[in-house]
Amino acid sequence: MKRNTFYLLAGVVALIEVGIFWLSVEIERPILIQVAFVLGVLLIYLARRKVEETIEDERTAVITQKAALRTLEVFWVVFFAVSLGSAVVAFSRPLGLRPHPPGPHEMIPPDALDLPVFGGFAIFQMALLCLMIFLYVGFRMYYARKYGEWDTDEEQD
Amino acid sequence: MKNRIKVYRAMHDLTQEGLANELGVTRQTILAIEKGKYDPSLELAFKIARFFGVTIEEIFIYDSVPGLKPPE
Repeated sequence: MKRNTFYLLAGVVALIEVGIFWLSVEIERPILIQVAFVLGVLLIYLARRKVEETIEDERTAVITQKAALRTLEVFWVVFFAVSLGSAVVAFSRPLGLRPHPPGPHEMIPPDALDLPVFGGFAIFQMALLCLMIFLYVGFRMYYARKYGEWDTDEEQD
Repeated sequence: MKNRIKVYRAMHDLTQEGLANELGVTRQTILAIEKGKYDPSLELAFKIARFFGVTIEEIFIYDSVPGLKPPE
């Protein structure tokens, strides 16, 4: 497989994933996008192994390692800070795990966290994941530039 | 670390792409090494030296720290 064919395939897979995501939302089946996402990633990994040209070597491995390490270093601090805040919110109000107050069992404590709060937390998690991806891409571009990824010389077409 | 890969490439009439293909790396890696932006691993340095039939020291020149004398 040619390198450009691989990139084209990756783009098509990404577009299909977006489509399946909306379909999954429409028919209210989260398992659909979850399975499709894992299959999509597997397909891209398998396709990458079929590329005939060298697209990865020790320099690209160094760029990937450094970018991943820096992302982890920044992200764990952000994630831990956010998690601490979430823990404070969660522990300061009953989650339904404490014994019910005297009265009918159906009665929910008025200050318990509502279900939409957890839905909001899922979106917040997605936002954090997006932050991690942006951080990784940013660090990757920084190290790629540092290690001459976009340098040109007289042999360049 | 400085190197003389460009000189040896010229002596062997090789392009960066050609050398990259022989060594199993990307052309950008050869370019980055030549420009001193990336120091190759010991394995790749040996590969380059053996490909040109010389020792590593003939291709790679280590810029020692000023004032630091090599062991006698």
